Amino acid sequence: MNGIGKSMSNGSKPLIPQGEELARPPTRLMVLISLVAAFMLTLLPWPKAALWLVPDLGLLVLVYWNIHAPRLAALGVAFALGLAMDATHGLLLGLHALSYCVVTFLVLMLRRRLAFFTLKGQAAHLAPLFLLQEALVLLLGLAYGHSQVDWRYLAAGIVTAALWVPACLVLDRLTGRPARLDRVTGG
Amino acid sequence: MSPATQAPLFVREMGLTTRFGLYLLVCLILMAVDSRYSAMSVVRTGINAVVHPAQQVLVWPFEFLADAGGFFTVHNDLVRERDRLLQERGQLRARLQEYQALKSENERLHTLAGLPPAPGLHRVQAEIIRADQDPFTRKVIVNRGSLHGVVAGRPVIDELGLIGQVTQVFPASSEVTLLTDHNQSAPVQAMRNGMRILVSGMGSDSLLEVRYLDLHADLKPGDILLTSGLDGIYPAGIPVARVLQIELPRHNPFARAICQPLGGVGQHRHVVILMPEKRA
Repeated sequence: MNGIGKSMSNGSKPLIPQGEELARPPTRLMVLISLVAAFMLTLLPWPKAALWLVPDLGLLVLVYWNIHAPRLAALGVAFALGLAMDATHGLLLGLHALSYCVVTFLVLMLRRRLAFFTLKGQAAHLAPLFLLQEALVLLLGLAYGHSQVDWRYLAAGIVTAALWVPACLVLDRLTGRPARLDRVTGG
Repeated sequence: MSPATQAPLFVREMGLTTRFGLYLLVCLILMAVDSRYSAMSVVRTGINAVVHPAQQVLVWPFEFLADAGGFFTVHNDLVRERDRLLQERGQLRARLQEYQALKSENERLHTLAGLPPAPGLHRVQAEIIRADQDPFTRKVIVNRGSLHGVVAGRPVIDELGLIGQVTQVFPASSEVTLLTDHNQSAPVQAMRNGMRILVSGMGSDSLLEVRYLDLHADLKPGDILLTSGLDGIYPAGIPVARVLQIELPRHNPFARAICQPLGGVGQHRHVVILMPEKRA
């Protein structure tokens, strides 16, 4: 951990991948499969009364990869995932694409800082971003001519943030990243 | 290690902020184009044609479980239900005879009066396969599309009454906007006195409203509203709603009536799309 901290803090990028990245580098295929799987999970027949609570799993996985493999999943991937969301949910094309791009941009700015927090700390950082994403979708919908908005959908942002810790543990396990028990316990 | 995962030694790309700005611009333009012109419907249909089969595969295990649950129903229940259905069929047959007589009489009167015959209707059975996660409108997706001859704009009913209108058609599915949607309305007629009004959704899942009602209009709680057939989309005589209460005006010159939809809006799995009958 200290090695990474030092190399990051003096501002220059290390020429050779270090630490976590050396153990099991994320591949393009890994990113793609996990994103598609998460996207498909959101398309399951969720009960109609609880649709506004369904977390945005695609965004969750996107942010995970933004943090751990920013060279593989950045703005382009966010844009594509957003377009797919808009088209399948019959929304205005670009609504989710824009909000995902905003979240990805902010996460890319924050990722150096996030690396030094426990998963719970990261969830606390990300909760406002997930909320912002839901709010952006609703506000842009209003701005582009929808006359009424179901504000309950903001709750999905909170649910998504609450799922950050379990989702990270599952994704770490699936992609074979080294365990980060030290961070979970705050050590 | 693939070259893509490594940071390049010399940076030869746009900065993050510039790229972010460009993506924002593209998104804003996309939204503007999509909201003003219907040019993007091709893209939408294309993506849906890819996603729909995958979705069917995903939904399959859930439907299978539901069906498997149905396999273990008790013999007694089946017999009772069969008896009930037979009884219902008898009643419906009797009603149908009456209907045939009325229909032929109606046609005769139409020819006598020199009016063109009322167009017949062709019914397409459909099943609701999912409700969309959409904070703006109330929509469901049914499993009949342009391959089955569905056209956008057609009314959708269930066994109790009107539930909505087809708004978008994909190859094997189509999107139905429910009557309860805020932007959806239907021209109706009170059954008791034939008064013509417009009933609209109010964004609630179980209520409709008549927005601009004359202060002295003769509408009472309990009145049944049927489609009037004036718009040329909804055929006349489909039950739509029952009036629950009339709200007197407070800040504006119009009264407002709150109604309850008669059709199980978005509750039943099986619906019928009404298509105009093709004339030979």
